[in-house]
Amino acid sequence: MPQTITDIYLPRQAQVEQIVVENSQISTFVLALRDSQSNDAFRYQPGQFMMVSMPHCGEAPISISSAPTRPGAIHLSVRKAGKLTNAMHKLKVGDTIGLRGPYGRPFPIRQLTERNLLFVAGGIGLAPLRSVINTCLDQQDQFGTITVLYGSRTPSDIAFQNDLGLWQKQGVDCRLTVDAAEPGWNGAVGLVTSLMDDLTTEPSQSTALICGPPLMFRAVLGRLSTIGFADEHILTTMERHMKCGVGICRHCHMDGKLACVDGPVFSLAELRKLEIMELDDFCTTK
Amino acid sequence: MPHAAAMADTHLLKKDHLKGFLRKLAKEYRLVAPVRNRHGDVLFTVIDDLDSVEIELVEPPQNSLKQFFLPQQERLYTYTIGSEGYDFRQARTTIPPTVYFGVHPCDLSALLYMDVVFSRQQRDPFYLQRRQGSVLIGINCNAPSPNCFCNATGSGPFLEMGSDLQLTDLGDRFLVEIGRAPGHALVKRWEGFFSPSTDKERAAHYQTFLEARGRFSRQVHVEQAIRQLEAGTVPDEVFAELSLRCQDCGGCAYICPTCTCFTISDQQLDADSGQRLRSWDACTFAGFTGMAGGHNPVQAKTEAIRQRFTHKLRDDVRLNGRPSCVGCGRCVGICFGGTDIVRFVERACQGSL
Repeated sequence: MPQTITDIYLPRQAQVEQIVVENSQISTFVLALRDSQSNDAFRYQPGQFMMVSMPHCGEAPISISSAPTRPGAIHLSVRKAGKLTNAMHKLKVGDTIGLRGPYGRPFPIRQLTERNLLFVAGGIGLAPLRSVINTCLDQQDQFGTITVLYGSRTPSDIAFQNDLGLWQKQGVDCRLTVDAAEPGWNGAVGLVTSLMDDLTTEPSQSTALICGPPLMFRAVLGRLSTIGFADEHILTTMERHMKCGVGICRHCHMDGKLACVDGPVFSLAELRKLEIMELDDFCTTK
Repeated sequence: MPHAAAMADTHLLKKDHLKGFLRKLAKEYRLVAPVRNRHGDVLFTVIDDLDSVEIELVEPPQNSLKQFFLPQQERLYTYTIGSEGYDFRQARTTIPPTVYFGVHPCDLSALLYMDVVFSRQQRDPFYLQRRQGSVLIGINCNAPSPNCFCNATGSGPFLEMGSDLQLTDLGDRFLVEIGRAPGHALVKRWEGFFSPSTDKERAAHYQTFLEARGRFSRQVHVEQAIRQLEAGTVPDEVFAELSLRCQDCGGCAYICPTCTCFTISDQQLDADSGQRLRSWDACTFAGFTGMAGGHNPVQAKTEAIRQRFTHKLRDDVRLNGRPSCVGCGRCVGICFGGTDIVRFVERACQGSL
């Protein structure tokens, strides 16, 4: 055995360069590794995640929401959920956090070329998909049409509004819906699946990328299957508790797979072989 | 097939010479061996003074070697928040080269499994640093204990590879098989303690193995449970029943030589500093998979123990070609809920309830 082994658990320091408040619960933290050489050399792919350290809070896995086609900054879009993410929401520009990564199996961008892309997200679920969307938009000629269906609880909960506006300008068909309307809201009300009623995209030439809470996920899967999307062309990214991020601690177990190294990105074809809560009451072919 | 003839290089070590040999080893290595303490318990212990301890090679030790390579709690880093930013410093301690003596086949198999866990996906620096420079001297089991079932997990009662030296008790002497290179070096270095083995001793070794194999009091159908799990024919009811009985104590995972799941947490020391700790964890704990905000993808009440058994008996078989239960029987002795792995194997093999 060699005498020196890379310290895989050692966080690197990253500085908060900018904070974009997306809504009352979600902010996007624009980060740069403090060591500028490391920051320049930092590479990742859409769908990968970072293990984030906050003082006295331990670590948590957070999806990268920026696009690797725009190097120099790592974006983490974070919803207040627990101790660590609440601490993040108290960060100020110039503060330092700890980062390890990138980790995990990314979205298979190469396999998406020439295909129409249907993104379906709920709430914070748009964060990992934002990385894919911007990656694809930066080489838009390689992909077919891009559609984004985005569900939020209320109009004031709609996050990533800057992005949604920019995407629309770049020809993305962005459709929004809310669970509950507020005065002044003229848009759709209801499940994100209601936005799929008049989709014209041809399923055989399309790939769907989904991320959202389990209930939404199951509803969307059901609808996509009805429309005729093949399981191989339905992609998602799974959320699990993680401690190591590198396939050892096993907190993210998923019926024999580990979300951190076998995922977090999976196709529905892969997920159907697993007994997981997200597919409960949804037909599995085990 | 454990047969001394399979190992090219075998020697004899008279029991009268054992202490002398260990004394030599202890001068250059830290020595860890199963020691019977004053309460009558046998535990793997760091031996400071060979003359004041009683090494026990028959009764299996209560602990395994796990704690020596993956401590129940270890400090990975200290961190500070200050002008240097948010800075992590490695907190590694130097582990002296150690001889682990008198390791039973189950615990040896477990350590070889841990080697895979901590180097397959990523090389774990904290584990591997402890593992570097360790010498393993195994002892084959002539008389398996009542809870033992290593014969059903392919990890005993005799092993023919994995250790540096492998001992078999032949009455007044040990047959010593040389495994890996460090074992060869030890015998060469202190060859005065060893004598050549003859066909007679090699035959006695084989005879001892056959007798040991016949001494298991339990018939545990591990292979059958593995097949049932792979086929998906273990009824959900079995997992639900055992999960309800599980008292969530984590004892099985802590005592298990192959349970390596861990958690990482921060301990604040003052406003601007703290330490990052790694500790044993158990997949049976309700909080093992719980996420921030309270969502948990595992239904604790009915699924708590599913991961424990499918990981050991299905997922690791897929990955490594063998289960990661080594048949040591420790969980059988420690589980007061009646959800140990033997109970599971029996339930799984009954098929539908």
